[in-house]
Amino acid sequence: MAFMTKTNAQLVNHENGDGYLCSGSWSITELGSLASRLAKEPMPSETQVRISGKRIDHFDSAGAVALNNFLTKLKQQSKEIQLIDFSERQLALLKLVESKKDVLDYKTPPPPKHNPLYILGEQAVEKLNQTKGFVTLLGDLSQNFIRTLGNWRRFRLPSIVSNINTAGIQALPIVGLLSFLIGIVLAYQMGLQLQTYGANIFIAYLSGMAIFREFAPLITAIIVAGRTSSAFTAQIGSMKVNEEIDAVQTMGLSPTELLVMPKVIAMLIVFPLLIFWADFFSILGAMFMSKSMLGVDYFDFLSRLKESVGLRQLMLGLYKAPAFALITALVGCYQGFMVQANADSVGKLTTRSVVQALFLIIIADAIFSIVYSWMDL
Amino acid sequence: MSEPVIEITGLKNYLGNQWVHSDVNLTVNQGEIVAIIGGSGSGKTTIFRCLLMLLKPTAGCIKLFGKDLAHLSDQEATKIRQRWGMLFQHSALFSALTVQDNIMFPMREFASLDIDFMQELAMLKLALVGLPEESAGKFPSELSGGMQRRAAAARAIAMDPELLFLDEPTTGLDPHSARMFDDLVVFLRDALNLTVVMISHDIESLRRTSDRVAFIGEGKVLAVAPLAELMQNPHPLIVDYFSNVT
Repeated sequence: MAFMTKTNAQLVNHENGDGYLCSGSWSITELGSLASRLAKEPMPSETQVRISGKRIDHFDSAGAVALNNFLTKLKQQSKEIQLIDFSERQLALLKLVESKKDVLDYKTPPPPKHNPLYILGEQAVEKLNQTKGFVTLLGDLSQNFIRTLGNWRRFRLPSIVSNINTAGIQALPIVGLLSFLIGIVLAYQMGLQLQTYGANIFIAYLSGMAIFREFAPLITAIIVAGRTSSAFTAQIGSMKVNEEIDAVQTMGLSPTELLVMPKVIAMLIVFPLLIFWADFFSILGAMFMSKSMLGVDYFDFLSRLKESVGLRQLMLGLYKAPAFALITALVGCYQGFMVQANADSVGKLTTRSVVQALFLIIIADAIFSIVYSWMDL
Repeated sequence: MSEPVIEITGLKNYLGNQWVHSDVNLTVNQGEIVAIIGGSGSGKTTIFRCLLMLLKPTAGCIKLFGKDLAHLSDQEATKIRQRWGMLFQHSALFSALTVQDNIMFPMREFASLDIDFMQELAMLKLALVGLPEESAGKFPSELSGGMQRRAAAARAIAMDPELLFLDEPTTGLDPHSARMFDDLVVFLRDALNLTVVMISHDIESLRRTSDRVAFIGEGKVLAVAPLAELMQNPHPLIVDYFSNVT
């Protein structure tokens, strides 16, 4: 086989003035920019053109397309073309390419361009549909929940426990560590100000308020949104791609009951516990910092915390847990169900689920703040 | 004829605590369509995996285009990989790319061509496998199973391979599409001078396409012969395999 030794370049040369000589390997890997060079080749002046394929040592469909394009150009100039020294197989291939000529120039239509107003409208409709889908899922979940109440087995305890493990227990180290660090940073920043006023002991009140009411719930929610929402989306998404969701549905089971409900229940159980865990470690961090920077004793810190902040503020933070749990679980599951059957989709929607969960958590937190201030809490 | 395209001698494979192959010998010549058949679990796909360098055989020698696969440098291996095309059983099209981009994918990686020319070439392959031109801009998920198989075939021949592997190309296609696909295989062999090795259970497809059929059983190639001849073979496994064929 001659083409084992892939010979040099390939060119169309003038041969004694009355024709061309093709040489080298006209194969897809060796063709290079020859196709575009052929398009720019000046037309010969003679009406009769001879093209010789004597020196071609490999000729595949790429070469055939390139040569055919050149021939078409020559024919448009009404030249008479004579092909000499081409093997029968090469001519057959050339003929094959010519017979398919009509489709070669087909260009896939470019994606339609829209004006900004159209895009705005489209986005608005999409967001509305998303809200609708989300509300539908919530409704479906409530309906399933009520229906399930009569039958304990349908709560799927093993699934709930496994979700508690992955979303809760396995998150303990990272939640603990980050909360501890946030507690330290918070106490340090506050301590700098308090030191200048000599009001060191207020550190317990300030950091306690901030941690119990805002920081611990938010830090927890952010970590859970990053860890768990994305995991839910990826899991349900790949099940969707694999047609597993369809399989569940055809068996007469509800994917919401089977997949969403255990996750939501697990999150509802785990979220307050995680927030409390975060409370504990943040306070610990703040306490260490107060001691080393402001010289506030651990005992003083804690008794001050109990007097001025108290259980009430801790509970105000924990009340946020169910809302955050619902948001992270439902957003994760909802985006999972939106996955289409392609590889990009899972990645895109996983990102979207994290972003949306964070967005909604911060909105929800703001609403909590407003409500608390109305109630003078 | 020149040297054989594929030459397998004494191939042995030990997988999952059992001998899948004890002694496989098979030669495929240039321009042939050879089918590999055999009962489930007889190791047809394993032979494919060895040929495609996805699996290192336990023992034995496989020569592709006269080169021993066991002693190849990375560069030589890449070169050989460019000379074959593989059609996977489940198409294995890249779901994130359009059909045209799927076909152009190997071209982009291995050839230095202008984008316009690559598009023309992709359209040629698309026309060769008999897909309508509108399918070029579609994503694999928007095509039916049969069309996906065709698109995957177009991708397999994108680089003008000399050797084409087909893993159960007609399984799961309706009879009409399956026969069209058979014609396509023969047409491609004639038009592009391909050598084709396929795994198939579709007797009708074997009848229409294959020059020779290799029957795998008991860890070796029990017989290699044209289908009509193979069906007369008295070996019990072969008789059993064809027992329900009308």
